[in-house]
Amino acid sequence: MTAVMSLETATLVWIALPFLIGFSIYLLPKLARPAAMVMACLSWVYSLLLLQQDTALTMQLMDSFGVTLQLDALSGYFVLTNAMVTAAVLLYCWSSNKGAFFYTQVMVLHGAVNSAFICADFISLYVALEVIGVASFLLMTYARSDRAIWVGLRYLFISNTAMLFYLMGAVLLYQSGGTFAFAGLAQAPPEAIALMTLGLLTKGGIFVSGLWLPLTHSQAETPVSAMLSGVVVKTGVFPLVRCALLFPELQPLLGLLGVGTALLGVGYAMFEKDAKRMLAFHTVSQLGFVLAAPAVAGFYALTHGLVKSALFLGAGQLPDRNFKVLQKQPIAWPLWGVLAIAALSISGLPLLAGFGAKTLTLKTVQPWQVIGMNLAALGTAISFAKFIFLPHGNSKEGSLTASAEQPAATSINNPGFWLAMGLLLGGLVLANGFYLEAYSFKSMAKAMLTLGSGWSVYWLVIRQVPLKLPSMMEQFDNLIGTMSLMLTLLFWMVLA
Amino acid sequence: MPILQALVFATIFCGFFGIFLKQNLVMKILSMDVMSTGVIAFYVLIAARGGFFTPILDTAEPSVGYADPVPQAVILTAIVIGFSIQALMLVGVMKLSRDNPTLESREIEKTYSP
Repeated sequence: MTAVMSLETATLVWIALPFLIGFSIYLLPKLARPAAMVMACLSWVYSLLLLQQDTALTMQLMDSFGVTLQLDALSGYFVLTNAMVTAAVLLYCWSSNKGAFFYTQVMVLHGAVNSAFICADFISLYVALEVIGVASFLLMTYARSDRAIWVGLRYLFISNTAMLFYLMGAVLLYQSGGTFAFAGLAQAPPEAIALMTLGLLTKGGIFVSGLWLPLTHSQAETPVSAMLSGVVVKTGVFPLVRCALLFPELQPLLGLLGVGTALLGVGYAMFEKDAKRMLAFHTVSQLGFVLAAPAVAGFYALTHGLVKSALFLGAGQLPDRNFKVLQKQPIAWPLWGVLAIAALSISGLPLLAGFGAKTLTLKTVQPWQVIGMNLAALGTAISFAKFIFLPHGNSKEGSLTASAEQPAATSINNPGFWLAMGLLLGGLVLANGFYLEAYSFKSMAKAMLTLGSGWSVYWLVIRQVPLKLPSMMEQFDNLIGTMSLMLTLLFWMVLA
Repeated sequence: MPILQALVFATIFCGFFGIFLKQNLVMKILSMDVMSTGVIAFYVLIAARGGFFTPILDTAEPSVGYADPVPQAVILTAIVIGFSIQALMLVGVMKLSRDNPTLESREIEKTYSP
């Protein structure tokens, strides 16, 4: 590809193409699935080009005050995640009866997420994030049920309010430095940093500002939750990571928030009884790992995106969402197998990429973060034991209950589901190649120890305790109110 | 200028508090609109720091204080986005009002929470 055209031209074509394809799909609904799939493949090729980029390439479109793009390996990892998750979701939906409208939104979302991952100024980022918000809303409400509309409205409210705060921060940044580029953050006043961080934290589902996420991600349809949890929330985290790398003085602030969200999410996840809600709480926690070690965030985001979308697609096939019911009802062993592989990867079992990512992150974090992050890793092992120790049995019985629950097209007999799983789990095994140095005796022993102690805590404590954490903080009014508290907190943290 | 700035911030705060203090969903959306009006005014205010003249280059008067066009251009994008989001939300509320005629957010939340 580089031989045919330069990376600059390739970037421009690649950014515009998903929107072009998205709107053409509406005119040519027959081509919807193949065209969308071609786009996902192109993103995949492009991300491999980015990953080979040793030095960052900066592009300035339309002269000064124009759009700034930054192309480097960090973006490459995030774009790769987006490509893989989109491809898996498309495979999963291949034989379903989703209309052209659905695929249009998927493409618009794909394109907006891509642009969020390569832009390097706050206004392009704002536009990308707002497009993501609208496309996610339309995907969430695709079912048109009242419940879906309420969940979508709640999401749009929260994300739009957060983006208004972000806009205020952006103009304060412009006032001080005369630029909207990420690089202008050096002269930014503390209130600008606090306001923009609040917007991005809320969009990215981090710490208490991210408590809107569990309900939204667990109520959406299976493929939509996979996309939302797999890549969409990372668009809020990515700019924070990028800024932390540009300005090391931001790292203590973001590192602290990372540890906080890792522990908060895992704390909720351990006691959660609903499968999809547990996965969503886990997204809150895993984003903390991404944020805590900005230097290696890309690899962690990739493994998390693959695992989380695999788990959401798999959890959509379970006969029930409540773990209490699932513990009495054996599921088909192939389904159990894919869920267990994904759960083992995220808990950090060697041979799967989650292990390498976790080892690398724990090695990179600051000394004061180590205890918190290791506790969070232990909590991950504890909560995912719920998936690993699900009873599994004869495939006949399990698949029958699954297809009774789901419409035939998305049941477990759907070949698209297995292709999607193959893609995601295969990606997990291959992603090991990014960090082979993880396979030392010491880190493998540590991973096994974490797993072992996590599982014993699960059997000894968590299974026995009927504790249910209150969900008061997830009420709409409280979520908005929390924003003002979080803003004050952030302001003092930036000043300190 | 400081009084104007104080008024702009007051608008933003009124809108923000309206979002979670008002019960009715339509009122919440209107409050969000008030908040975004405040933010837009804030951009215009900051653009007017250097002067109030429309930033069209005129050779006859080279030394007047022009307003800064960049924040204005940016906020134009934000206005369009805000407008489309508002339209989407109102459509959503219209759909919800069929089964929840009072549109009270607490009640709706209770009904649709798992």
